[in-house]
Amino acid sequence: MTTRDIVLTALFTAIMIVLGLMPPVTLGFIPVPITAQSLGVMLAGGILGARRGAAAIALLLLLVAIGLPVLSGGRGGLGVFAGPTAGYLVGWVAGAYVCGLIAERFVREGQNEIAQLAAFVGAAFIGGIVVVYLFGLAWLSYMSGNAFLPAVVASAAFLPGDLIKVAIAALAGRAVLAGYPLLPHRA
Amino acid sequence: MLNGLDIEGDSLLHRLPVRLKLALLFAAAILLFLTSDLRFLLPALSLALVLLLSTGLGPREAFRRVRFVLFTVLLVALANFLFVSAAEGAAVFCRLAALVLLAAAVTATTGISAFMDEITRLLLPFERLGLVRAADVSLAVGLVIRFVPEILARYGEIAAAHKARGLPVRPLTLLIPLIILTLKDADTIAMAIDARGFRRH
Repeated sequence: MTTRDIVLTALFTAIMIVLGLMPPVTLGFIPVPITAQSLGVMLAGGILGARRGAAAIALLLLLVAIGLPVLSGGRGGLGVFAGPTAGYLVGWVAGAYVCGLIAERFVREGQNEIAQLAAFVGAAFIGGIVVVYLFGLAWLSYMSGNAFLPAVVASAAFLPGDLIKVAIAALAGRAVLAGYPLLPHRA
Repeated sequence: MLNGLDIEGDSLLHRLPVRLKLALLFAAAILLFLTSDLRFLLPALSLALVLLLSTGLGPREAFRRVRFVLFTVLLVALANFLFVSAAEGAAVFCRLAALVLLAAAVTATTGISAFMDEITRLLLPFERLGLVRAADVSLAVGLVIRFVPEILARYGEIAAAHKARGLPVRPLTLLIPLIILTLKDADTIAMAIDARGFRRH
């Protein structure tokens, strides 16, 4: 990584922390409040690309581990890695990487609007939802022992909010690509 | 702006070296998962609670820190209670809650810089493999702590600009300028770092 890559990674981590300070949004038809921070996972991959995106999330988790309260709601410390939902956090790193890989491969600068948007939606959905849930549910099932199925059903409450985040991440990814393209010059 | 979760003190945990605390936490995590026997798990939970409170963290602050994770632990334990058995539910709660409290105790007694030093040392084997440079990780951590207040101020400015123009503050119209304006600074910052020769090869 060049110095610029390190700076981009660190600045994105700082943006993630600021997103965590934003109050969660409650929508009537969704059972759980939506936090902006997990949106950052999809944005990291879609804007910075696979390597820098995953590094930005890993850096955030490092700050959490050394005891800075930088997760949404002022959470932090080693305790969050000991809980049953720690798998989602680890899944963030892999999710950002996969999201970045897909965006790097399928998003082109001169593409028509619909194709570009579709590529961003696909990247955010597969990286930010499929991969993150895969890690999250695997860990949850390990931690919850024999009560795996109810745990899976309960986590479905987060799905509608995450789908809204995919839409926001895709639109934001496209806008940033137009305003300040970083994806084509990846690390 | 960004304050650590560690607190001043001179308890036993404060005096233990960071590496030993992390190793003990890791060992506790493995031990707790080996058994479902409440005769072992209940004392373990009590011991974890005693350790957390021995750090000098007040009960109220201690609860505030762990309540979110404890809530998820409670949900998982409740699922086990309802769908498996009462004993299993109690075992899951004691095991996970003990682990969370122990982790919180380590966090409360370990300063950011001491922890970062240990991380740098733990990264050295990876540096020898050519995977990551420990100095780069420290640089990145420093940059994040330096730039969070600046980005937060910029967030406030963009929100104020929205209000001045009578626009509703929406996530999308706020995020895009925030990200572009912030990332555009990367070139200047990187040049300033290189000009000072921080990353000699």
